[in-house]
Amino acid sequence: MRTVIAYLRRDLWSPYVAGALLGLVAVLTLWSTTRLDDMPARMPGASGSFQNLAAYLGQELTSTQKVLVEGGAPIIVPREGLEEQFVYFAFTMPRGITWQVWMIIGVFLGALASALLSGGFRISVMPHTTQWQTVFGPQPWKRWALVFVGGIILQIAAGVAGGCTSGLAISGGVQLTPAAFLFIPGMFISGIATALLVYRRRY
Amino acid sequence: MEPLDQSVWELGPIVIALLMGFLFGFALDKGGMTRYHKIVNVFRFTDLAVLKFMMSAMVTGMVGIYLLVWAGEVELTAITPTVPLKNFVGGLLFGVGMALVGMCPGTMISGAARGQLDYLIPGFGGFLTGALLYGFLYPTITDLFDGLKDYGNTKLPELWDLSPVLTVLVFAEAILLLLYLIHRLNLRRKDRLAAES
Repeated sequence: MRTVIAYLRRDLWSPYVAGALLGLVAVLTLWSTTRLDDMPARMPGASGSFQNLAAYLGQELTSTQKVLVEGGAPIIVPREGLEEQFVYFAFTMPRGITWQVWMIIGVFLGALASALLSGGFRISVMPHTTQWQTVFGPQPWKRWALVFVGGIILQIAAGVAGGCTSGLAISGGVQLTPAAFLFIPGMFISGIATALLVYRRRY
Repeated sequence: MEPLDQSVWELGPIVIALLMGFLFGFALDKGGMTRYHKIVNVFRFTDLAVLKFMMSAMVTGMVGIYLLVWAGEVELTAITPTVPLKNFVGGLLFGVGMALVGMCPGTMISGAARGQLDYLIPGFGGFLTGALLYGFLYPTITDLFDGLKDYGNTKLPELWDLSPVLTVLVFAEAILLLLYLIHRLNLRRKDRLAAES
């Protein structure tokens, strides 16, 4: 028992062990959600939940209230020119605290528990490594600006591809979907190229 | 045309989602995926933890899931459709973002849980803004990739008419072999670095 607790308190596990746990989570997620009524089977994923959350604002921005019959209750209609966008936010990826949103709440809690156990939890505004500071400088605003832009790129990319590292690469890969094995090389090709451009000779 | 709200408020699904998410986040943090440099450095080949983590997850998950399929316990329905150019171009765009900021959707959430405000504020904000932009660009993106071959929810054994058992075995062994080679390479590099210093 003491060994188990000591292991849970470690800052890092062997990536093989941590990875195996993630693989197991994918298996358990599919197995347990298959057993739920009124809900399709699920695999772990993160990017879709951001679409569900953004759809709250998306629906507001693409629709308007209109009274069609005199004296009747107003109904929601799409704004002119934004019909397709409204359909996306209202039906394709509708708003809601969906199953996926609950899952990313779980992800937050799990990582929080891990960081609290290991003592790795610390409020910080940017990476403390010399790597970031050497290349981009010590100013937090630069990190914040880049992360904001990076977040936009990543979410749009996940939308185009049909998922992210968890929902497409891992969840798709373990099911042997061709989509995953097209996404992974794409991600590594451009990742290596970008890292070469950004870090070459500077760190 | 009343808009949908897909909220889940039943206890069963919520408990499973929270529990699976919890283990997911725990694994991400213990694997080091919540650190900027770990993610960026896999693209520079100076820290291969991401690769080891992903491939280990892949082997474990693949074997586990196909065992359940063969036992008749699950069906593979939660699948991203294969539209080759979209999957690949999406991957290309994704890699740029990942190498720039050292996070992806899942690791942004778990990184925020370590108290890193750059993950929580511009990170979460950026992803939500991206999600909103994606919705507005959705018709444009659909037009852009219009008329592409869509293989739907296919799997490799179906697509190439292979035996699923054989495919899983070959993939699992190929990944294990690759892991072994990476591990050896890493050890040799460590020896060399130790000898130099």
